Amino acid sequence: MLRPLINRSPMPGLGLSMGITLTMLSLVVLGPIGALLAQGASYGLEGIWATVNRERVWAALELSFRLSFFAALFNLFFGVILAWVLVRYDFPGRRLVDAAVDLPFALPTAVAGIALTTLYAPNGVFGVLAKEVGLKIAYTQWGIFIALIFVGLPFVTRTVQPVVEEIDREVEEASATLGATRLTTLRRVIAPMLMPAALTGFALSLARAVGEYGSVIFIAGNIPLKTEIAPLLIVIQLEEFNYDGAAAIGIAMLVISFAMLLAINLIQIWSRRRIGDV
Amino acid sequence: MDIDIQEISKLFGTTAALHPVSLAIPSGALVALLGPSGSGKTTLLRILGGLEFPSSGRVLFEGQDATNLTVQERRAGFVFQSYALFRHMTVFENIAYGLKARPRAERPPKLEIARRVERLLELIQLPEIGARYPSQLSGGQRQRVALARALAIEPRMLLLDEPFGALDAKVRKELRQGLRDIHDATGLTTVFVTHDQEEAMELADLVVVMSMGRIEQIGRPQDIRARPASNFVRDFITA
Amino acid sequence: MSDAAERNWRSATDETPLVRGGLILFAVAGIALLVAAPLLTVFAEAFAKGWFAALKSLGNPDALSAIRLTLTIAAFSVPLNAAFGIAAAWFITRFDFRGKAFLITLIDLPFSVSPVVAGLCIVLMFGANSAIGGWLVAQGYPIVFALPGIVLATMFVTFPFVARELIPVMIEQGCKEEEAALTLGASGWRVFVTVTLPKIRWALLYGVLLCNARAMGEFGAVAVVSGKIRGQTATMPITIEMLYNEYLSVAAFSLAGLLTALALVTLLVKTVLELRHADEIAATHRH
Repeated sequence: MLRPLINRSPMPGLGLSMGITLTMLSLVVLGPIGALLAQGASYGLEGIWATVNRERVWAALELSFRLSFFAALFNLFFGVILAWVLVRYDFPGRRLVDAAVDLPFALPTAVAGIALTTLYAPNGVFGVLAKEVGLKIAYTQWGIFIALIFVGLPFVTRTVQPVVEEIDREVEEASATLGATRLTTLRRVIAPMLMPAALTGFALSLARAVGEYGSVIFIAGNIPLKTEIAPLLIVIQLEEFNYDGAAAIGIAMLVISFAMLLAINLIQIWSRRRIGDV
Repeated sequence: MDIDIQEISKLFGTTAALHPVSLAIPSGALVALLGPSGSGKTTLLRILGGLEFPSSGRVLFEGQDATNLTVQERRAGFVFQSYALFRHMTVFENIAYGLKARPRAERPPKLEIARRVERLLELIQLPEIGARYPSQLSGGQRQRVALARALAIEPRMLLLDEPFGALDAKVRKELRQGLRDIHDATGLTTVFVTHDQEEAMELADLVVVMSMGRIEQIGRPQDIRARPASNFVRDFITA
Repeated sequence: MSDAAERNWRSATDETPLVRGGLILFAVAGIALLVAAPLLTVFAEAFAKGWFAALKSLGNPDALSAIRLTLTIAAFSVPLNAAFGIAAAWFITRFDFRGKAFLITLIDLPFSVSPVVAGLCIVLMFGANSAIGGWLVAQGYPIVFALPGIVLATMFVTFPFVARELIPVMIEQGCKEEEAALTLGASGWRVFVTVTLPKIRWALLYGVLLCNARAMGEFGAVAVVSGKIRGQTATMPITIEMLYNEYLSVAAFSLAGLLTALALVTLLVKTVLELRHADEIAATHRH
């Protein structure tokens, strides 16, 4: 038997809260996304493919997803260490570092973009240092990589931190009493415990990086085939009033993003099933 | 292996969890550390296991000073109150963990590890559960797996922190006998912590009654019943 | 052995001091390089030619108009999103209905959509060459390249913020107190204002704060829908881009400094909320 669509409840405000929720959701989110899909549908699969299947578009998509993946990977590594340090160790300035982790969430992306560009430009503080070792950062893929690290920095730390807080010390002690060195304990016992949360953070960081525009656009240099990111292509199509082209690239980005998130979710489900919910 | 605790004290900050206490445990004994919470019994057990270090005094294993041994070097089979099973590993992997964690030169070959795990599963009378995860076990089964995991490293002694604390009364009675049997079969010096005087009296050869970081009385269960050394002991064992 | 007390024991669950120190150094250095350095750069560049030059650049008509526009956008989009967040959280946590998980996924959707794609979606729905947009333009109410479009784009990007803060808190708190108030004869609205609102006020403030910071700083979505008309649809972040591209560094970074100050105040209040009212806001945050 199917359960009723909405169960009876003594709580007031069903009509009002449902009305506001569904109306605003439709107007602000679902309608516009529907408009994108409708535009894509009227353009047709062949049209979309013709737009996407050009060297410049492939290069931009490949660049966006590749650099986002590596930036998220860096953030996975750095974020887990940061979460561990913030929970387990006490040191002067710990609270300040903890608060600073959230800055990339709070700082407007355009501000981050111009600040990073100034810092890493050939005459910037870090740019000069990089030039010493023969590295050019701003206006190259390195610059995009750094900007993407910046915007995704908080995700892994913030998902892993509560898990580290909840680790049962007795489990670590058990590993030690069984003769395992600290490194073995970290590798075989603690790392698997942190993995699901770290993967969630990785996925969020990746999704954010793929779509990022503001902080990247200044430092990227935006040279076609070299340092042009996928969101910029959409902006360029729109400036030429090519709505079909913009929609095609937008849909391609959505499809690839969702495919990646789906894959990560499947890994999550698989690892949760193994671990169980104790 | 006999254990000699000499004038061990433990300070946490400025509060004394243990005033200097001394205790000699003969080889092969089954000893209960009995006392209310805050009596220092768990601290003493953790010092034996190498999980805490004493502020003063020393511990001898078979006459050798063991105070400075790290937790890994002690080879004490430790069963935790929460069992502390690794929930991302199967029962088999949990039990094999200590053997696989050994340095390569001392690590038994794969087949030998598997054989030992099977034997331990039979010892705890759960031969069929190797492939399961801890989340799929009952509380009593988890406790027995934790015991098997501790035994797998061929420990020199067995230390148990409130081993039956999280179980209901019926399972508790069964597992008590199980621990007695395993102790008799292995002959390991065994120390367990409990706040349940009935459990201590029924199971242990030697009962150590503790209160406020001091040892109130050491004796065989019948002696403690017949001649309690202090008002505290009398009140506690008749409670 | 009297020297026992002086021995420096390491517990079984600690790393060696060397490893610990190394990890702390790595974490602090990472934050200093990746987060603190850009932050300092903003203020260093803004004040590169002194306080006066920085303040003067903010008095420029374009800058003033950008500040006004950004405040106006926040004044529309944040309260609307707060109202949505409260309604959605009430609907989701107080009623039992089919498709709840799906509804939550839909509310979260904007987090996984690029801001540029969000702007594109708004353009495609309300732009002059769409059915709705064309009709509205004919009536004299353009959406895209005007204030309503910027508000909509901002709302899209910040849509989940308040709801996400409130839902876990309201699930945790349950509705026993609301039920008690109802049995005492209070009206629905009265129950909400006198019982629910006081319980969720800190979580609400937390969500509104994050929503506001993001709304005032949104760039990608606004860049697409605003048309970047100087003095009319150029928000603070858009104006920062224009000034920066015209090599007016002090002016760009002064405006950026204002937004950075807002971000810092947001973080400060957020930290205080987490310290003082940890039990009244959601246990985990990740945006």
